[in-house]
Amino acid sequence: MSSLLQVLLSGAATGCVYGLVALSFVLIFKATSVLSFMQGELLMAGAFAALAAHQGLGLPLLPAVLLAVLAMAGFAMLGERLFLRRLVAQPALLAVLLTFGLGMMLRGLVASWPGAAQQVYRLPFGGEQLRIGEVLLPTAQLWVIAAALLLALLLAAFFRYTRLGLALRACAENPELATLMGVRVSTMQALAWGLGGGLAALAGVLLAPLSFVHLNMGDIAFKAFPAAVLGGMSSLGGALLGGLALGLIEALAGLWLPEGFKDALPYLLLLFALLLFPRGLGQWRLAGAGPSRGGQ
Amino acid sequence: MKVRAVEIGAGLVLLVLLLFWFGRAYGLAQLNLLFTYALAGLGVVIILGHAGQTVLGQGAFVALGAYAQALLVATGLTPLLALPLAAGAGALGGVLASLPAARLGGLYFGMSTFAFALLVEELLRRWESLTGGAAGLMVKGFSIAGWRLEQAGEQAAFSLLLLLGAIALCRRMLASALGRSWQAVREDEAAAAACGVDAVRAKIGAFALGGGVSGLAGGLYAHWIAYLSPEQFGLRLSFELLILAFLGGVRRLGGVLWGAALVVALPQAIALLRDQLPGEWTRAAGFELFVFGAAVVAVVLLRRPPA
Repeated sequence: MSSLLQVLLSGAATGCVYGLVALSFVLIFKATSVLSFMQGELLMAGAFAALAAHQGLGLPLLPAVLLAVLAMAGFAMLGERLFLRRLVAQPALLAVLLTFGLGMMLRGLVASWPGAAQQVYRLPFGGEQLRIGEVLLPTAQLWVIAAALLLALLLAAFFRYTRLGLALRACAENPELATLMGVRVSTMQALAWGLGGGLAALAGVLLAPLSFVHLNMGDIAFKAFPAAVLGGMSSLGGALLGGLALGLIEALAGLWLPEGFKDALPYLLLLFALLLFPRGLGQWRLAGAGPSRGGQ
Repeated sequence: MKVRAVEIGAGLVLLVLLLFWFGRAYGLAQLNLLFTYALAGLGVVIILGHAGQTVLGQGAFVALGAYAQALLVATGLTPLLALPLAAGAGALGGVLASLPAARLGGLYFGMSTFAFALLVEELLRRWESLTGGAAGLMVKGFSIAGWRLEQAGEQAAFSLLLLLGAIALCRRMLASALGRSWQAVREDEAAAAACGVDAVRAKIGAFALGGGVSGLAGGLYAHWIAYLSPEQFGLRLSFELLILAFLGGVRRLGGVLWGAALVVALPQAIALLRDQLPGEWTRAAGFELFVFGAAVVAVVLLRRPPA
C-alpha cells in the first residue's frame, strides 16, 4: 500500500512537469500555430541557468530561478523576433525545423560550458523526506506538485482576469478579429513565446530535484507531446491534466508491466491519441472529422 | 538548362578540390558518405517534396534498413542479396508509419511519424538480444562474391551506382500513375479525391518508395561505418535529412547531392574553423552543436519559398 502511494506520488510529480511542458507547447501553438521543437532545450538550459546563477553568481535560489526564467523567456522572444517572424504564412514544417535549429544552438551554448556535458548537478531544494505514519515521502515531489498547481492557478487567473491575458486569448481564437479590436497581434505572439520559454525553464527547475540537472534532461519534452495532444493542442487545462494522467500511467506501468514498456508507453500513447482523439479527449465525438490545422 | 550547367561545373570544381586538398583516400571516403546520405535524403524528397507529406521520422527508415542489413549479413547472407531486403525493411517501416495518414493530415500526421521514429529507437535500444541495445552492433565489410570493397574509391563507386539507380527508379515512379497521384494529393487532397485519386493509397505508395530508398541507404551505411547503435538514428538524423532535402530543392531528385554535401562537409568545416578561430570556446563539444543549429536556421531562412 505504502509503495503504491509512493509510486503514485512520484508519477504525479513527473506528470506535473510533463503537464507544464505540454502547457508551454500548447500556449505557443495556440497563439502562433508553431509546433516548437525547442521546449526541451529551453527546459534544460533553464535548469542550467538557474544552477549557474545560484552557484556561480551566488544568488539565493528564488532570484536565481527568476533570472533563469527571464533568460529563457528572452531567448524565446528573441528567436521569434529575429527568425520565426519571417516564416509567417509559410509551411508549418519550416517553423518546426527552425525551432529545432534554435534549440540546437541553445544546447551548443550550454554544452560549451566546461563540465556541463560530463556531469549531473542538483539544485539545493527538496532533498528531505517527509514521514506520515509509516510512509516516507520525498518532499521534492510534494514541492513540484504544489508549485505546478500554483502556477496553473496563476496562469488561469492571468488568462481570465487580466487585459493582457484576454488579449492573448483573443489572438489565439481569431487574429483578424483581435486586430480589429485593437490588439497588437505581433506583440501578443512575442508574449506567447516569452510565456512558453519561461514555463519551460520553470519546468526544468522543477524537474531538477526529480532527475538532476544534465544535458539530456530536455528529452522529457518528447514525452510531453502526448499530454498536449490528449488536451487537444488547444486547451491549457487539458494539457496539464494530460500530463498528470501520463505521469500516473507511466508510474503504474513501471510497477506492473515488464521493464522497458515504461519508456515506450508515452510514444505509443501519442500514436493512439493522435489516431483516436486528434482533437483531444474533450471533444472525442468530433474525432472522425480530423483536424485541418497546419499542413505542409 | 543554364543553371544545371553551372551546377555541374561547380560540383566538378568542388570534387577536384576535395580530392587534391584532403588527399585521395580521405576525399573518396567523404564522397562515399556523401552519396549514402544523398540516397537517404532521396526518400525525403519523394515523401515530402513530391507527395507533400510532413515526415519527422525519416531516420527510423534508415535505421530499419541498417539493422536489417547488419542482422541478415550476420546470419551468413551475402551483403548484395541482403541489400534488397534492407530496402524492404525500410519500405515496410514506411508503410507502417504512413497508416495514420488515413485519418491525419499536416503537422498532426508529422507528429505521428515522429512518434513512430521514437518507438523504433526505443525498440532498437530495448531488444538487446537482437540489436545489442545501446552497446551497439558490429558489421562486416561489404563484399560481392568474394571481392571485398575495401578501397574508398570502390565503395564510393558502388554507392554512386546505387544512388543513380535509385534516382532513375524515382524518376520512373514519378512519371507513373502513382507518381502523378502524389502530385495531385500534394496540391489539393480534396480535389484529388474528387477526381477519383485514392489519396490513402498514394500516401502509402510514397512512404513505401521513400522508406525503401532510405532503408537501402541504411543498408550501405551499416557496412561503411561498420558499427551501429540506436543513437545514430535519432531525431538529429531525421532533421539532417529534412535540411538536406530543403537545401537541394525539396522536389529535385538530383538536389540531394548538394544537401548531402552540406551535411557531410559541415563537421569538416567545423573542424577547420576550430583551428582558425582564437579562444577556448571553439574547442568545446558545444561548438559543433551550435554551428549545426545555426546552419539549420540559415538553410530554413535562405531556402524558404517566396511568400
